[in-house]
Amino acid sequence: MNLVTFSKLQQLSEQNLPNIAKAKQEGRKVIGFYCLYSPIEIAVAANAIPVSLCGTRNEPIEAAEKVLPRNLCPLIKSSYGYAATDTCPYFRFSDLVVGETTCDGKKKMFELLAKFRPIHILQLPQTQETDGALSFWYDEIVKFKKKVEKVTGVEITDERLSEAIKLTNQERKAKKALMDLPKMNPSPISGIELLTVMFKTGFFMDKRLGIALMNEIVDEFRRKGNPAESPFHPKTPRILVTGVPVGLGSEKVVRLIEKAGANVVCLENCSGYRSVFMIDENKEPLQAMAEKYLSTPCSVMSPNPGRIKLLDELIEDFSVDGVIDLTWQACHTYNIESYQIEKFVSEKWGLPFLHLETDYSESDTEQLRVRIEAFLEMVKS
Amino acid sequence: MTQKDYRPMWKELGLNLVGHDQLLNVLGQAYKDIYMRQENRPKGMQYLDFVISEAHGLRIEELMETKKKGNKVIGTFCVYVPEELILAVGATCVGLCAGAEIGIDEAEKVLPRNTCALIKSFMGFKLAGLCPYIQASDLVVGETTCDGKKKAYEILNDYKETYVMEIPQMKTERDRTLWRGEIIQFKDKVEQLSGRKITSENLREGIKIVNNKRRVLQRLSSLREAIPSPISGLDALLVNQIAFYDDPLRFTKSVNDLCDEIEDRIKKGIGVVKNGTPRILVSGSPMAVPNWKIPYLIETSGAIVVAEESCVGERSTRDLVDESGKTLDEMIDAITDRYMKIDCACFTPNVERTDHILDLVKEFKADGVIHYSIQFCTPYTVEAYRVEKALQEKGIPMLKIETDYGMEDVGQLKTRIEAFLEMVKK
Repeated sequence: MNLVTFSKLQQLSEQNLPNIAKAKQEGRKVIGFYCLYSPIEIAVAANAIPVSLCGTRNEPIEAAEKVLPRNLCPLIKSSYGYAATDTCPYFRFSDLVVGETTCDGKKKMFELLAKFRPIHILQLPQTQETDGALSFWYDEIVKFKKKVEKVTGVEITDERLSEAIKLTNQERKAKKALMDLPKMNPSPISGIELLTVMFKTGFFMDKRLGIALMNEIVDEFRRKGNPAESPFHPKTPRILVTGVPVGLGSEKVVRLIEKAGANVVCLENCSGYRSVFMIDENKEPLQAMAEKYLSTPCSVMSPNPGRIKLLDELIEDFSVDGVIDLTWQACHTYNIESYQIEKFVSEKWGLPFLHLETDYSESDTEQLRVRIEAFLEMVKS
Repeated sequence: MTQKDYRPMWKELGLNLVGHDQLLNVLGQAYKDIYMRQENRPKGMQYLDFVISEAHGLRIEELMETKKKGNKVIGTFCVYVPEELILAVGATCVGLCAGAEIGIDEAEKVLPRNTCALIKSFMGFKLAGLCPYIQASDLVVGETTCDGKKKAYEILNDYKETYVMEIPQMKTERDRTLWRGEIIQFKDKVEQLSGRKITSENLREGIKIVNNKRRVLQRLSSLREAIPSPISGLDALLVNQIAFYDDPLRFTKSVNDLCDEIEDRIKKGIGVVKNGTPRILVSGSPMAVPNWKIPYLIETSGAIVVAEESCVGERSTRDLVDESGKTLDEMIDAITDRYMKIDCACFTPNVERTDHILDLVKEFKADGVIHYSIQFCTPYTVEAYRVEKALQEKGIPMLKIETDYGMEDVGQLKTRIEAFLEMVKK
């Protein structure tokens, strides 16, 4: 990424909080989200500001452990800790926080989080396969829509929803184009750079700014398209990271992989490729949203064939040399699902596979580095 | 442990005979050390001693006999699975082995090490070929109660057909509708498996049998309100554990007899402990046979367990299915409503559990609560915080224990429990 683009990203990021503060003063409502299953279009359609809430850093975990068990996933502890210590400005801004019953830990944590902010819980079905699941989820979205109408005082019409979907689809398209850059061999952009751009633009109040910036970056790299300018060379091992979401503060595994001489070409997770599934613009908006969101292949779904399907496509499209499955400690669904992922990756693709279980701390960094280096040795041979 | 030679039957069931012999030896010894050393037990406990000694023998033989007659055996892990429907088609419902640290090496080949002991246990029992109940089952029924079980069933299904019921996570009207739909689907599944229709007649019978089993367990529970305690917590837990796999009619009769005897003891002022012994309510995760660790530690530290706020305990026996339904539809409604009342920590919110614990403390004159979660059981470990706060507000001491089926922490736990009991006495 060139300096001009990078400083633009920085500048926009710095301007974001003051922008939200100003918008709030002008009467706009802020709705905070934690999870990819949350239909942000509802907030957009109500002219509210959808914000991602903090949960990717280690600092607030100590405070969280006063209330939550120590052996709980760091993402959950971090999210709660930010709220409890009032250190996440986005949480502070939120007029409504949206939680969901994805996993046991979050579901139970939200009960405790409710004392800090008004919270709305989306009840997610635990399977995608039955007809009942979709209609149940559709009703949940309708219920959420009513809630947001109440909070914002804006009636959410189908037109407004369609507009919102167009905007979020554009964002998905831009994000996808960005994430597709590493399909080039060698990739013109590192996994860490990609992650940084997606993470930072993800907080932008004005989605159009993020879309424009991502498009700009994609154009810049496509224009260059010069292998000599890539930080990698054609022999660099191309690694796909699958599993739990990763953001700044919890990017240590991605960083370690690239420091060890490989390239993370694809992130099959909720902060990566799963976030660019499009909403069908030709369908009734709420129905189209229900279908899109329910199809998110998170391991909380039982069974979760969508993840295997997506992995299958990504391994092929990104010419992947090895797969690293990342699980946050005490995240039971990913931890258990790893068994099936390993089976798939080795049986179908014959690729080296490594399952890593870690948290946000630095205590195991050395050990992870050794394991990743040994894994990459195997990938190369 | 067993007299008759059941090895041909075990072999036919595909059990790992060498491992199974070792298991029975260990269990037999544990039972002797933990149960038979108790003093002044009610005579009626002899029936339970017998059932446990024949848990892998006579009871399995009975299952094989009923199978030969064309009846099905359905294995379950959770109190959400409606036994009424299973009994309605003449099938037998059995709880599956999940209470011992066994086959761990096998289980950890397919499951992470840091998975709850109960889940690793059922996988270990299956993979190591040590549970005659799962071997004898025509179908295993799982449920999406928690993350660990939900995902483990996907893997268990590779080794044994596992039908999964989706449990709602809240208790709104829509959740009830979802759950009712699940019950109807399960009804279809059971009908298809057994080749028999569920009618208002046979379902009424099923409801009656299961309700009567619950009634007798309620009776036993209420007798434990007496001071001094007429029965140990270990014995009462055993009764609740055996409720999951014994023949329900025989079980109900035998436990009724036991209750008659206990009533008589109460009249005569006979107890298993002295007056003034600290009375403890155990609350939290279920304890499957032979998971007797916590009550054993409590009762060998000078206290008595007076109630279990647990799925193997009063959470599964508290509510009856309304028997006034006349049509099949009304009965399905009654079953739906009854199961929606279960206050498992997998629900959000689950405030009724906290209220209920406070009620139990009062009802059983408990001096303290020991909150027990199986390690890595996220719903209960997180919920423990709220329970503790609610108890604190009422000045009731609570000790939070998180452990697995291993024995490594027994010394440490005993020290903690003893210190807690010291505090309770003051």
